[in-house]
Amino acid sequence: MSEPFEPKIVAFVCTYCTYAGADLAGTSRIKYAPNVRIVRLPCTGRISPMFILKALQKGADGVLVSGCHPGDCHFAQGNYHARRRWTVFRSLLSFTGIPEERIKFSWVSAAEGAKFAELINDVTEQIRDLGPFEQYQELQKVIETQSSY
Amino acid sequence: MTRILLHDRLDDCLAAWRSSGFRVLAPTRRDDLTRFDEVQGAAEMALDIIMPERTIKDHFFLQTEPMIRYRIKKQEIDTEEMLPPEQKRLFFGVRPCDASGLAIDDQLFGWDYKDAYWFQRRENSVIVTIACTKADDFCMCTSVQLSPDSTKGSDVMLHPLKDGRGWQVVTLTDRGKGLVDGIASILQEDAAEAAPTASVPVKFDVDKVASWLADPASFESHLWKEVSQRCIGCGSCTFLCPTCHCFDIQDEGDTYSGIRRKNWDSCSFAMFTMHTSGHNPRNTQSTRWRQRIMHKFNYYRGKFDVNSCSGCGRCTRQCPVDMGITETLQVISNLPR
Amino acid sequence: MGIQEQYRIEAAELLSSGAVKLVIGYGQGSTPDRRRPVFIRSAEESKQLLLDSYCVANLSGYLVPEGLLSDGKSVGVFLKPDGIRSVNILTAEAQVNPDQVVIFGFDIENGNTKPLSGRKAIDFAPLIESMKSTGLSPELQHEADRLEQMSASERFEYWKAQFAKCIKCYACRQVCPMCYCRRCIVDVNQPQWVNTSSHTLGNFEWNIVRAFHLAGRCVACGGCDRACPVNIPLRLINHRMSKEALDAFDHFAGESADQKPVLATFRQDDPETFIL
Repeated sequence: MSEPFEPKIVAFVCTYCTYAGADLAGTSRIKYAPNVRIVRLPCTGRISPMFILKALQKGADGVLVSGCHPGDCHFAQGNYHARRRWTVFRSLLSFTGIPEERIKFSWVSAAEGAKFAELINDVTEQIRDLGPFEQYQELQKVIETQSSY
Repeated sequence: MTRILLHDRLDDCLAAWRSSGFRVLAPTRRDDLTRFDEVQGAAEMALDIIMPERTIKDHFFLQTEPMIRYRIKKQEIDTEEMLPPEQKRLFFGVRPCDASGLAIDDQLFGWDYKDAYWFQRRENSVIVTIACTKADDFCMCTSVQLSPDSTKGSDVMLHPLKDGRGWQVVTLTDRGKGLVDGIASILQEDAAEAAPTASVPVKFDVDKVASWLADPASFESHLWKEVSQRCIGCGSCTFLCPTCHCFDIQDEGDTYSGIRRKNWDSCSFAMFTMHTSGHNPRNTQSTRWRQRIMHKFNYYRGKFDVNSCSGCGRCTRQCPVDMGITETLQVISNLPR
Repeated sequence: MGIQEQYRIEAAELLSSGAVKLVIGYGQGSTPDRRRPVFIRSAEESKQLLLDSYCVANLSGYLVPEGLLSDGKSVGVFLKPDGIRSVNILTAEAQVNPDQVVIFGFDIENGNTKPLSGRKAIDFAPLIESMKSTGLSPELQHEADRLEQMSASERFEYWKAQFAKCIKCYACRQVCPMCYCRRCIVDVNQPQWVNTSSHTLGNFEWNIVRAFHLAGRCVACGGCDRACPVNIPLRLINHRMSKEALDAFDHFAGESADQKPVLATFRQDDPETFIL
């Protein structure tokens, strides 16, 4: 008797756009999947690849990173720097075999409450279809168990 | 007449050992690296090489070893010791230098506190060495009072036959005898001669080195800076050394649960002696290099009457900038009296 | 007169005249085919300098340690074009004053060494610029292609097997001229971002983090790959990052001393093919 797989998704979002958009989804009473754990940063420019690695290390099946549209960053340039970082990091993860489909990036503005809800629902379903991130979690289990010799 | 084991009967031995509960590990090349790993047959073994790139130390003093699992609840902490599994292991084809490394470290791990992780593995393991018939420019066992057929740390020693058909089998310990008795029907009596062991020229006078190191004036010698200029402070030499044994305790987990681990550490690392105050008594590479040499050939000798070195030469063989202890010891050995 | 003799004489002259306080070059290693870094401080010692096709290491990393250049004096160093690019990057990142670096430039072609004319990094600008147009190493690309053709899970299994070998000796980091952080991210334990333990997960994370920090900064000198005692093909992963920086941002590491670091700048029209 096994429960259906509920993906664990961590979303790193910026305060002034995506988080505000999420708030708007809430106040507008738009339902979205409960699988996402939101971590609020001041700006996507603050998001280090370390955060994404840490989320995977702690058992996330998928990671979403979202911020202001280019040109609309509250801090003027943060999301431009973030975009470059993500381009590089994404190709690195892909090269080492960590599926690109599990790490997602988006621009969601403060006015886009409905878009945020739709985004979360879509991402959740896509990660649900991919299943638990077993490969990475296997590496975890190697830590947990005693050494084999 | 001695007992010999023919090459083409080795698989029968492995089968016999496995059926008596041993996991058999031998030098094997996998993923572009030679190291000790579990093998199913003789064909997987890489016995012709000088020595595997990694040592058997890896299987007794793990590069990362879970010690305790902890779980934190409201007012209590539950801990569970994570000792190694009770698994019999047979190490086949060990070089005498690697085997001696285990014996040298036995003294440290059993000194003021018996390290259960080390000894549980030691007690469950049998070491079958093969004497060396060839060496390379980096080998220096003869300089540290060992030899290509040293029996230190070994339970059974195999001597390659001159005619190349197999090995002479010499039982050295009770544990070894138990192992050999189990394959007695596979061995045969033969008058075949053993091949001569490798010729390894002595490169330095280790006693002279030790007495120079023990002289307090040597501590401040300008020699340390001169010999270590190119050292980049990585951990290669220490991690590949059969006798190096420094470790760091790290807790990995979160507020609710985690595992305390023992990880390899290296005196070559800049942060090795960093105090929480921010003071670092060994804050230059030359002081760290001095520590390495002093520890191996002065402090360890003083405490345990043995050099903390097996003469395998991996430190020089693998060093990215051609350091390694041999040259430093040669320089010291050649100092005018 | 061969290049080795020529450079020995020049090194001796610069040292005796006081123009440089130190020359970092190659000397005889512990076996006939090994060369090691040597530190020459007098005209007499310059006889130790060797220059041949075994001299492949990138010596620019020895310029960075704290205090070497703080007395304002100059240091001579033997560098191939990859090392000269390293000096450009170190200059751009404010780690080295290029006026204090006197370069003995050389390259290795078909097993022979040939001199490159120039004294300061800026003298080699035309050569370095021409390197950009030839692009990255085709041999490395060929090896990397084999990996690119695998499926993601095959790649994961490949790197899992490779990184399982890692012992966290940090030889890759120590030998790299670009890894000069006084406190590396793995040595930060408040918080501990990257597990220091050398289990497969910790090794995976370490190698990913280092490759990321080298994106757009690696000059493919091969130092890390040669230094790795367990033969992990680090050249492939760093090459992939260089390729991404070149393809996405037209960034060739070390192109000039005033090149802005690739992740510290941006263009408004940077590619964003992956945004949902």
